[in-house]
Amino acid sequence: MGRRTRFESHTETHVASAPMSEPARIDVEPDPVPIVLILATTLRRAARTPQLAAAIGRINGNVALRSTVDPQAATMRFGGGGVTVVRGVSEDADVVIAADLNKLADEKPPKPKVTGIPRHPKLAMTVSKLLDPPHGTWQEEAQRFFAFATKHPGVPRSMRVVCTDDGSELTLGNVPSEYELHGSEHALLNVFLGNSVIGQDLLDGKIFAVGKLAHLAELTGRSLAWMLGE
Amino acid sequence: MTMDAAGATAWLEENGINWVKTEGISIDGLVIGKHLSTRKFVSSLPLGNAITEFVLGYDIGGTPFLAWWDDWRREALGDFHQRPDLSTIVAAPDRPGTANVICDIVDLEGNSIPVCPRSKLRSVTERLEGHGLTAKAAFEIEVMLYRESFAEARAKHHRDLTPMAHPAHLAYLHYNSRQQLRFLDVVLQRLDGLGIPIEGWHDEAAPGQFELNLDPADPITACDRVIRIKQVLREVALEQHCSVTFMAKPSHEYGNGLHVHHSLARDGAPVFYAPDGHDLSELTRHWIGGLMATMPAATSIFCPNINSFRRMVGFAAAPTVASWGEDDKSAAVRVLSRSPQAARIENRVAGGDANPYLVLAAVLAGGIAGIEQSIEPPSPLGVASWGLPAGYPHLPNTITKAAEALKADTLLRTVLGSGFCDYWVNTRRWEWLMFHTTGGDPMTTDVTAWELNRLFEIV
Repeated sequence: MGRRTRFESHTETHVASAPMSEPARIDVEPDPVPIVLILATTLRRAARTPQLAAAIGRINGNVALRSTVDPQAATMRFGGGGVTVVRGVSEDADVVIAADLNKLADEKPPKPKVTGIPRHPKLAMTVSKLLDPPHGTWQEEAQRFFAFATKHPGVPRSMRVVCTDDGSELTLGNVPSEYELHGSEHALLNVFLGNSVIGQDLLDGKIFAVGKLAHLAELTGRSLAWMLGE
Repeated sequence: MTMDAAGATAWLEENGINWVKTEGISIDGLVIGKHLSTRKFVSSLPLGNAITEFVLGYDIGGTPFLAWWDDWRREALGDFHQRPDLSTIVAAPDRPGTANVICDIVDLEGNSIPVCPRSKLRSVTERLEGHGLTAKAAFEIEVMLYRESFAEARAKHHRDLTPMAHPAHLAYLHYNSRQQLRFLDVVLQRLDGLGIPIEGWHDEAAPGQFELNLDPADPITACDRVIRIKQVLREVALEQHCSVTFMAKPSHEYGNGLHVHHSLARDGAPVFYAPDGHDLSELTRHWIGGLMATMPAATSIFCPNINSFRRMVGFAAAPTVASWGEDDKSAAVRVLSRSPQAARIENRVAGGDANPYLVLAAVLAGGIAGIEQSIEPPSPLGVASWGLPAGYPHLPNTITKAAEALKADTLLRTVLGSGFCDYWVNTRRWEWLMFHTTGGDPMTTDVTAWELNRLFEIV
């Protein structure tokens, strides 16, 4: 059948270019774990904003993100003009953010517990901005995601997206719609930004869909790939 | 036994069978199927009973693979069939009135599914036969036996279990065998009833571990026997309120392997035979060359789980380097060429958690690729293959690295097919994702609760 593998490796250095600023170096550990890839993706998205790209190159220090509900943890090691993301909470972490990672994308996420702020206030403040980078409207982010996803065979060639908050909608692709996604602005943004995965959000009742399982599976695979920065 | 539907009906009547247990094989090597009344079983022949396509589309924890799609899948969990291989039907020795039959999973028209493990192995053996070669295979099944029942083991989170043996790391100790006799006597009696010959069994290195050595058989039969033996071992453990596991590494002790020996014959003559053990035939050299060239990629199939790779440490009887040698048990591939009756090659990489059909399919596919592309093997290392520094051909040591090796492979897929290889790679990447996002701890070198909970009882 010759189908393409849906997952890609991330064992090499990643460099994200930040328009109109110095490129920010964003590396990941060899054979990285998912949370490392997800953090690197978020940092790469932040690096699209020139000020944040500059911040990545400027700051020094180690910031860890630790899940409060399972063993997932990663440390961002800033320095030398960039950042390297590695698994686990490094012993020399200056700031540690503890949060329920499953709820970070909620509309009202529980407040994370952060240690190390008194000694490293600027580092903590900068990293909080990096982990919540600016984004476009849900329509802009939808177009960005679809441009990525639609390169793969099996993904619907067109998709109608409906925002249930105000009834606004967007059709992606140039043929009659093969799939529909419905959700609140918040839910749609989460999916298209790569903060959550389409299949999981559908199971959780956060979004709704009209279409075939085959399309759902391919979109979910692309959604995962988007989240993991492939 | 070869029979058609009429023959099956007569056989069921003669043997007083009321129920038939269908035994299909999942991608992870689990036995899946239904219990059918003989009326339903007979009426469903030759295609067999319907079963959702989902049985080839979920992970070993029961989560559906909904992150990619493949052409063979059916929209909305539609049905496949479990086509019985009537040559495998046998009266269950422990359940009067019940018969067991092994099945292939086929689509509605009876076509093979590219990820059905049994069908995949058959397609590989047919390819081999196209070269005028036939294969025989024999597995070594390693298993650990504990005094706690499965329920008690679960209550203890599968930790600190009591091996049914002396706690020392002694192999072949009859004092240990004696402690396991009450269990194994029933097992062996039941295997005899199923028509499964065993060459022998013995106490193995880890406390409570023993090994069963199977007779050589054609590849499909060899694997059918493995999955039936594993079922019997679990069933007798259930009945005697003890527990067994085939996990590659259930604790920090030695792990469970699934070594497989194979031989080739052409016109009845043993292909691997070389009287002096050195002057190997060109065919044998190319076969070994293929095994070596595909070893990193095949490791993904030999070591299917996160836990599989915990077994792959030096000086613990598991190979860590893609190497081969005459009667070299530190090597991944041990060649035994000196006996015309027993000239064979042993692959020592697979863990006890591997799917035997896919392991053997990958082994034979590697050899076939070798002869089809005239691949010369590297020289034997000539030194112990354990504890070697960088610069030697170390096997992939994580599930992701092995999956990447299979993804990059261009040899195995010429025989196994890209559809299968890509599907397998996706399932292993999925397993990696499940481990890291549903409670597995990547920071510990110990076997995690996640692995034990997921694999101990069923793999």
